[in-house]
Amino acid sequence: MSDRISVTLVVNGREYRRDVEPRMHLADFLRQELGLTGTHIGCEQGVCGNCTVLVAGKAVKSCLMFAPQAEGLEVTTVESLAGFDEELHPLQEAFKDAHALQCGYCTPGFLMAISALAAEGRRPTRDELRQELSGVICRCTGYENILTAAERYLSKQRVSEGVDGWGI
Amino acid sequence: MAGVFEAEATEIDVQKGTIGVSVARKEDDRLLRGAGRFGDDVQPGHCLHLAVARCPFPHARIASIDVTQAAALDGVEDILLGSDVVSGSDPISVLRPVPDAPSLNFFAMATDVALFEGHPVASVVAVSRHIAEDAVALIEVDYEPLEHVFDVESAMDPRSPVLHPQVLQSNLLARNRTGAGDPEAKLAGADVVVEDRFVVNRVSGLPMETRVIVAEWQPGARELTVRHSTQVPHLVRKQLAESLRLDDGAVQVLATDVGGGFGLKLGIYPEDVLACLHAMRTGRPVKWVEDRIEFFRATTHARESLHRVRLGARSDGHIIAMTDVYDIDLGGYNSPMGSPQLTSVMFTGPYRINDARTERNVILTNKAPVGAYRGYGQPESCFVREVLVDRLARRLGADRIELRAQNMVRPEDMPWKSTSGATYDSGDYEACLRIAAEAIGYEEHIRRGRGPRSDGRYVGVGLASFVERTGYESSKFLANRRSRFGAHEGVVVRANRTGGVDVYNGVSTFGVGSETSFAQVVADVMSIDFDLVRVHLGDTAASPLNTGGFASRTLIASAGALRRAAEELRDKILRIGAFVLDAEVGDVMISGDAVCMRDDPERSVPLAEVHDRAIINQGMPPGEEPGLEASAQFEPAGAAYGYGTAAALVSVDPETGDYDVERFVVAHDCGNPVNPMLLDGQVVGGLAQGYGQAVMEELRYDEETGQLINGTMMDYFMPTAADLPEFELHHTYVPSPVTPFGIRGVGEVGTVPGAATLANAICDALADFGVEINRLPLTPELVWKQIQAARARGHRPDSDARVDEDRQGTDGERHEAT
Repeated sequence: MSDRISVTLVVNGREYRRDVEPRMHLADFLRQELGLTGTHIGCEQGVCGNCTVLVAGKAVKSCLMFAPQAEGLEVTTVESLAGFDEELHPLQEAFKDAHALQCGYCTPGFLMAISALAAEGRRPTRDELRQELSGVICRCTGYENILTAAERYLSKQRVSEGVDGWGI
Repeated sequence: MAGVFEAEATEIDVQKGTIGVSVARKEDDRLLRGAGRFGDDVQPGHCLHLAVARCPFPHARIASIDVTQAAALDGVEDILLGSDVVSGSDPISVLRPVPDAPSLNFFAMATDVALFEGHPVASVVAVSRHIAEDAVALIEVDYEPLEHVFDVESAMDPRSPVLHPQVLQSNLLARNRTGAGDPEAKLAGADVVVEDRFVVNRVSGLPMETRVIVAEWQPGARELTVRHSTQVPHLVRKQLAESLRLDDGAVQVLATDVGGGFGLKLGIYPEDVLACLHAMRTGRPVKWVEDRIEFFRATTHARESLHRVRLGARSDGHIIAMTDVYDIDLGGYNSPMGSPQLTSVMFTGPYRINDARTERNVILTNKAPVGAYRGYGQPESCFVREVLVDRLARRLGADRIELRAQNMVRPEDMPWKSTSGATYDSGDYEACLRIAAEAIGYEEHIRRGRGPRSDGRYVGVGLASFVERTGYESSKFLANRRSRFGAHEGVVVRANRTGGVDVYNGVSTFGVGSETSFAQVVADVMSIDFDLVRVHLGDTAASPLNTGGFASRTLIASAGALRRAAEELRDKILRIGAFVLDAEVGDVMISGDAVCMRDDPERSVPLAEVHDRAIINQGMPPGEEPGLEASAQFEPAGAAYGYGTAAALVSVDPETGDYDVERFVVAHDCGNPVNPMLLDGQVVGGLAQGYGQAVMEELRYDEETGQLINGTMMDYFMPTAADLPEFELHHTYVPSPVTPFGIRGVGEVGTVPGAATLANAICDALADFGVEINRLPLTPELVWKQIQAARARGHRPDSDARVDEDRQGTDGERHEAT
């Protein structure tokens, strides 16, 4: 099990090279190798979606992907949304204003899933959002305020122009 | 007064006060950046990682364990077996014992016999979690499977094995009776008796963060520092000290951000003791992060119970008696918080019933132990009671709203003592009932008449009324139940040099917004800027000994302590400020970030200067003590009883049993809200969990193997964003007379009415089919089976005839269970 392999990938705009066990999944890689602990792990079976990140611009459950599978790809995590000393990203502001988080554990997963919709220039209806976001589980909020925050944020995005201000 | 809140944060006007304002949360900035500090985000240097070997059988004797191969694996540092745990620690203490029950002496690891699938039998620490798990896979355990006990009924069969033969002669841990009057005589004389046997499903509260512990031991100082994913750091400290035979003072527990609790993170679990023992044996930090497969087998389940309920009434609808004999499926042992007792306390709900009794049987089975879960016995009692109230209405041909209103405790009856001894403090129960009925369109529904809608679906409206205990009656009440915690809370409020105020309390941050609501109380009492208040939670070394965050009590109890301490601090600040301004104390006030003259706010001294004078004891008024700090303890005068009525509109496909919840309304009294936006968040979150239990969630064990069938998130169906209806909230605001600021707890209320409301709505939709429901969850399969059962009894949906009242009573219902 100790045979390590080299992985090179770009996370939030910065290139990292690490030698890891082949069995290390991407979520563990982000947390343990890079110290990016904003990506949370809830089930390691691809159900809860709390570990959702963007890989090559698409929302991916990072527990379902081995780190070596992300070789050469661009990964975007919640830490990309606002720098340490920067104001919150408009999506984060929308969450705060709508009380769309309670314990905050699932929140990064939702932020990244919604970021993927924004990046695709999507502006789903509330009912479509229910489906789009059904891959991330929240146990605190009952989802309504998350849908409200997503709706308010996405409605301000220009269709097809994606999202700016990611700080990456 | 009723109103509906909007989820939109608002700004504070310090002059108008900060209580009652929907201010955005202090917690949010770090959490939104992914910069919270959850247990797994902390990794000390030289940390070892714990993995636990668990018994795969529900009941087995451990004949032998061979760890030779595991110990030889490179990177493995320590292995614990049951015998090590028994010699190195004491049994896990119980915080809330079952009344009249003997102690079961539960150690952190099975020694001879494992009692449920998932029971720890060995543990390993290694330099990585991967290696620790590899080592667990190399441990060879020779099990002798024993006959297992599957459910409460088989558990009481004299031929069944006894789980704890050293302490008990059967699997009945305790039988607790409560109540008053003579319900048997009243039932015998009742014009109508409705009764049934109800099956309540076993579920998991399922916080998104599993349990985590990071234990660090300093060998020389013999001190243990533990970072723990808990709602109750001080109780964890107490229990760890007890199990590990340490002085209280040698243990510090820290809980910063906790990813949801819901009652599951109260008290310690076996893995906590194991992690600490390993840390104490190796001298290295030990971390354990529960994985989700472990979670389903190792973290307490909840709610499974079997109820036999009778409700007696006069022909005019007056309910005269009620009984509930119920069996709780405890699992293999009594967890620190144990099985729910509130079912007995709250079973008569909002109704004036003078003759009512419960019998609560706590029964051991070979399943994972049950523990606290949001609502803690109240969703169960609401379900069985409100379903029977609807049946009573159908039997009598009475209107369901009027029947409820007729029997409800009235405002002029308050304070009202129920047969269980609960003292309902205040409220207008009927007001919420009427609001819910109007909001759901009850009259219109009745006017519309029966029969299918144009789309072929049958529409039903269901209601459920409830009263919910928030907080505790008193520490004396808890003492009578031998609970090892009090009803009070303690805080420290301390001024700092930059003009701010630091608040310290021992609850942790697990989602309910305490950092925000505590700061609102302090800012309001002191008239200082909300932003100047910083709330530090969850560190036992920094906060007064306290009870913790559960039982919808955090704000009720803490607000009183916060108010006292903040008043003391405020008064001293005013004295110092008046001295600086050369004024009378009565002529100055605090406004935002300064002390100023009431009649000339421009003449002021900044709080930073006032605080600094006190902190360095220079430039103080004569006779004033140095320092600017206050601590306070507070116990509320009683429990605040929340209440309300939920209503749902469903449409059912009679061919498949599939149904849609088209609307779900709740009218709820929230007392005086501290932060309306957060309050709504709590209520809706609870409704979502109650909905999950009602409609889709159930932990199922295989009867033959005794193993959990659906113990993964792929197989356990918790609600997603696509599954829930939009909950419509309506509030009334009757201040509680027994709590500071008239607050009622709101943390758990949402879980209470869901199952009853939806069951009643489905039964209403299918009333002409003769469908009755007596178990959860309300799957389409269950509904379909009930339709088939009703058809088999000869009911025809298209005949408008009411059910044969002589036959359709208790006997017919009792045998419908699927």
